[in-house]
Amino acid sequence: MRRTILLLASAALVGALSLSSPANAADKKPILIGLDTPIQLQVGKDTVAATKMAIDEINAKGGVLGRKLAYVVADEGTDPQLGVSAINKLTSEDHVNVLIGGYDSGVTLAEEPHIAQSKTIWLGIGSASPNITALVGRDYNKYKYIFRINPLNSARQASQMVDFATHVVKGELGRDKVAILGESAVWVRGLVPVLVKGLEQNGMKVVYQQLFDETLNDFTPLLARVKSSGAQFLLTILSHANSDVFIKQLYESRLPMPYGGIDVKSMTPNFCSRINGDAVGETTVNFITRAPITPTTIPFWDKFVKENGRAPVYTAPGAYNAVNLYAWAVEKAGTTDADPVIKELEKADYLGVAGKIKFDKVHDDLAGPGYQNLLFVQWQKGCKRVVVWPKELATGKIIMPPWLNK
Amino acid sequence: MLTVLIYGAVTSAIFAMLAVGFTLIFGVARILNLAHGTFYAIGAYAAFTLTAVYKMPLLPAAIISVAFVAAFGVVMERVLVRPLRHSALAVLMITLAVSLTMEQVLFLVFGSQSKNVPAFINHPIYIHGVSVDGQRLVALGVGVALIAALWLFIQRTRLGSAILAISQDPEAAQYMGIPSNRIFSIVMGLSAAIAGAAGVIASPFLTVRPTMDLIPMITAFSVVIVGGLGSIPGSILAACLIGYSETIVAFYFNPQWTGAVSLLAVLLTLILRPSGLMGKPISS
Repeated sequence: MRRTILLLASAALVGALSLSSPANAADKKPILIGLDTPIQLQVGKDTVAATKMAIDEINAKGGVLGRKLAYVVADEGTDPQLGVSAINKLTSEDHVNVLIGGYDSGVTLAEEPHIAQSKTIWLGIGSASPNITALVGRDYNKYKYIFRINPLNSARQASQMVDFATHVVKGELGRDKVAILGESAVWVRGLVPVLVKGLEQNGMKVVYQQLFDETLNDFTPLLARVKSSGAQFLLTILSHANSDVFIKQLYESRLPMPYGGIDVKSMTPNFCSRINGDAVGETTVNFITRAPITPTTIPFWDKFVKENGRAPVYTAPGAYNAVNLYAWAVEKAGTTDADPVIKELEKADYLGVAGKIKFDKVHDDLAGPGYQNLLFVQWQKGCKRVVVWPKELATGKIIMPPWLNK
Repeated sequence: MLTVLIYGAVTSAIFAMLAVGFTLIFGVARILNLAHGTFYAIGAYAAFTLTAVYKMPLLPAAIISVAFVAAFGVVMERVLVRPLRHSALAVLMITLAVSLTMEQVLFLVFGSQSKNVPAFINHPIYIHGVSVDGQRLVALGVGVALIAALWLFIQRTRLGSAILAISQDPEAAQYMGIPSNRIFSIVMGLSAAIAGAAGVIASPFLTVRPTMDLIPMITAFSVVIVGGLGSIPGSILAACLIGYSETIVAFYFNPQWTGAVSLLAVLLTLILRPSGLMGKPISS
């Protein structure tokens, strides 16, 4: 009897110890994801929403290495100082395991030395300057923590714009003289030379180009110059600039040519309707749309819309992919230590919600068939979005702005 | 050339609307109101709220918005400025505080995203072959009409005479039985209403953002310094000078340099004629 009591007591002790052991997921410290993002903007709100969505899904399946995922947010705004503070808070105070975020390239470039110093992996999902990942090539040991999941770097965006211009603007619309208007931001200054060179190599002529300060709010003089330049198509490159005002003034000026390009604010689902339909005819790039780009695109899109009541902007698929890719790499590495996880990320060939993600030597996401690519989407009648390029994903033909049809 | 003439006139009209209210309140109450740009912003946001949220037609929405901004100006003068009017520095600080607070309030209530106010005329109008945005012509017409009405009000009415009297000699005016506090309130309301009207009519083609008060504030300040603090004709003249200069620079050189125009004008004025084009000499 005494022996039985001893055996039962021992079993109870072992059971209690095993319940409180580190091997139990419920008692383990969660893997903490730090989001550095401009939380006041749509890109930031969607970063948070998509991260939460991915974390909930992973946690529902038991987490990673038996640990749950959690996230903490720091506002990086569009100000380098704020960005550096956000990184320092997330790494020094919150001790996050990984950073996901970025939007403004200037902010990201200011943050990079601090990210490197903290030896924390950073998965970029918003900023496009090639200089961000160029640092990895320049000093691998210091900057190996930097990866870009999304968007394509601006040089790759430029070459896809050249494809669009060659096949749609010149091929379908028969227009070969273009004007370029863009904001004077780091990523645009990197994009324009590649764009101009590519257009000229493909038999197009750039008759006018101008970069302007992103705080400008009267574009009438610039549009007057575009009009008088002899251009037949206006290529736009806007992210931080006030697109609402730009498109309204373009509409009011009845610019005598079709237009399109990159307009980040126009990726917002309510952009066209909030400016009373003035954007009908605008073509802008997008990184995702509700189309079967990969088997997970439509389920991701529908779930995001269901949970948030709005369609996602480009940082949402970026954040969703980043969380899943990081979880995959940690699982493969068997640890959250940066170096083994970096090795796994470098080997990754991951099918995300907007295409395959594979990194080049400087940890930049590749573009091309099967990978993440630009989708050229046009606002058409009733503020409906129609994919006009690439051909294999097109859901309709490009149309002229309404005032050119009369 | 015609394009520059028309767009220059529109810019000048908006500048003048911003500056006359600012200079009027200085002329009468001897205070620099750093919340003047806030009136412009509140006008635009009120018009947005009434048209987009309450689906009100634009004309009544515009009238209510301007009345609301005028009431805001009167309340601000009565509650915050009047108790501190003995100290110019205190007034500067309290009006700056109002400006910063309202910016944050707009930010919290409406968020950072741009808002859009519908236009009275949403199509171009052709003048001798030059296409001009219809709303800009509305802005020009409203600007000219409001300034003309203000001029007539000050020159032809008893209340206007009282305002003039206080601006010329506040103490003597008080001895003559003119209720200075009431006049200050009326002038603040008028000043706010004109700036609010500028916000309502310019917002369809410019931007509606929480930080939209800063540039109008700087513009009003620049125009008033160049025109002469307290001088309404000086403000109108300076608004035309700066408005046309900025338009010429934007159309013939680079739109990014327009901000430098008003700063250069202020610098030259302060060096060559510190009292401004039509201001009273500093010694007096």
